[in-house]
Amino acid sequence: MIRFAIAAALALCATTALASEPGSSVALTFETGADTGAIMVALYDEATYAGGQPVRAARIDVAAGERTATFEGLPAGDYGVKAFHDVNGNGRMDANPFGMPTEPYAFSNNAVGNMGPAGWDRAHFSVDGATAQTIRIR
Amino acid sequence: MTPSRRHFLMGAAALSTAVATPEMVRAAIAQDIAEPWALATADVEADIAPRAMRLVHGRAPSGLEGVLFRNGPGKFRRSGGSATHWFDGDGLMRSFTLSDRGVSLAARFADTPKRRTETELDAVVTPGFGTPGDSRARLGSNDDGNAANTAVMVTGDKVWALWEGGSPLAMDAATLATESFVTLRPDLKGMPFQAHPRFAPDGTIWNVGTNGDQVIVWHLQASGALIDARALTLPRASYLHDFTATDRHLIFVLQPWVFDHAGMPFSTQFAWKPELGTQVLVVDKADLTRTRLFELPTFSFFHLGDAWAEADGTIRFDIATNVDNTFAVEGARVLVAGRGVVPGEPSVLKLITLHPNGRADLTSSGVTGEFPKGDPRRAGLERSLTVHVAGERGGRPLPNGLAVQDWKTGRSHGFSFGDDQIMEEAVFVPKPGTSAERDAWLVAPSINLAEGVTELHVFDAASVEGGPVATWRADVALPAGFHGAWRG
Repeated sequence: MIRFAIAAALALCATTALASEPGSSVALTFETGADTGAIMVALYDEATYAGGQPVRAARIDVAAGERTATFEGLPAGDYGVKAFHDVNGNGRMDANPFGMPTEPYAFSNNAVGNMGPAGWDRAHFSVDGATAQTIRIR
Repeated sequence: MTPSRRHFLMGAAALSTAVATPEMVRAAIAQDIAEPWALATADVEADIAPRAMRLVHGRAPSGLEGVLFRNGPGKFRRSGGSATHWFDGDGLMRSFTLSDRGVSLAARFADTPKRRTETELDAVVTPGFGTPGDSRARLGSNDDGNAANTAVMVTGDKVWALWEGGSPLAMDAATLATESFVTLRPDLKGMPFQAHPRFAPDGTIWNVGTNGDQVIVWHLQASGALIDARALTLPRASYLHDFTATDRHLIFVLQPWVFDHAGMPFSTQFAWKPELGTQVLVVDKADLTRTRLFELPTFSFFHLGDAWAEADGTIRFDIATNVDNTFAVEGARVLVAGRGVVPGEPSVLKLITLHPNGRADLTSSGVTGEFPKGDPRRAGLERSLTVHVAGERGGRPLPNGLAVQDWKTGRSHGFSFGDDQIMEEAVFVPKPGTSAERDAWLVAPSINLAEGVTELHVFDAASVEGGPVATWRADVALPAGFHGAWRG
């Protein structure tokens, strides 16, 4: 009975190993200005960057000392990151009375937009194997 | 490097896109390629280390010690693309230090994100007041486009470089090193802090920032610390460069150059609608909901003098008025091009009177003038005198002298250097230990076109017609600055 279960389990593992597991990852390290609140990070591919759901998302607990988010098991390819630092921990990117963000935000490649968020052309980067980026979010 | 005649004969484009240092501009003027006044918008290529200025006329007045800080655009042109409007050059903060050892001059560029981006790309790519910019711009926030080039406010051991559409930029007053943009309160990060703070008799500072018809009213301690910030809605979304104040009122002059549509460069957002007339809104400092609105005939303007309220409630202030916005849009473009006729009329110095019965008057001095300044001891209080630049006229687009307008007598007391000089804004420096309005010096730089260098002049406010009591000459030419502040 146990041998059957182990065999079945091994068979299951073998099957899983054969279904191609994406092997790339990206480790994002953020250089912050404030050490309170949390950074909301979203990872997009080309199809979703401009306005779709991110392919991965994470919350970095800056107040607890965290500064990195790692997304694993990614298919190799081009991605873009959008992030904002919720310094006061109210769950929102706050804005001043004239509508300009008052909390830091950043994009992969430390890209800056042209009167708007940084576009895919400036923010996209290649993920193949283990990739890492450091992003300034001050 | 001596540019060849052939290089400059390639035409007007040579000056508008190529680097145009003061030396190259002087050569171009000598070869008749550029207008005589083109030195006013030359490029400075590097910070100016402190250097002594040479006394070339008169004697330094005893007791005159302090620093004149001035801000203005110092670089317009890069090989990959240039700023095309006078208001868009990189801020160059200047200091003229006067002591018993003489006068020294220093200047340092504001180290802004805009300047860093454009240095890296060797192109002006950021849209500005008149410069369109292009797709290479990196504008993640309004302060990414902040040229930090318009005015200066002294607070403690810092000087704040002021612009129109973003935050003040703090710089060290002694070294002129750039520190950081100033956030007066975290929830107000990036709110605009315009170029003309008004100093109240109680020692506090008022300023505004605008966005369409929305205004933020800033109230600061002399140290620069925020007292409060309040919102105000104007009856009209006018282009607003300057506002004024009495001891208890804020005053907004609302010209018929009104917000029409979003877009860049900034000046294209506004439409000139002369049929609307010009309005003046008076707001109680203590209660921003208490307002009065006055109507005046149509005029445009940039600059106002300090205002005062008389015992019966009459409010007065002076203003440099113009007939329309031709200079703002086109004239300031031609000034950077360095060639051609600068379109637009010179502004005229006038006095606005707001009567308790709701009527408003405009009284002309009869004299062309701009950059009005008054006695800082009387800011927000009743006064008679306004110093202003003078001598601008058709064919000669920039001022060549100073005048003091006495609104009590109606007389103008002026001095003209002649067209070999481009005059800059003067500050009133009270003589130590005195209280009378005329007991002051007027301190102002100029660009000496004949010598090709910057000069600093001191006049006696009581006798401007006599010309400067002292003049010092630098070994460099700085392009014309906009606004300054004195630290005694």
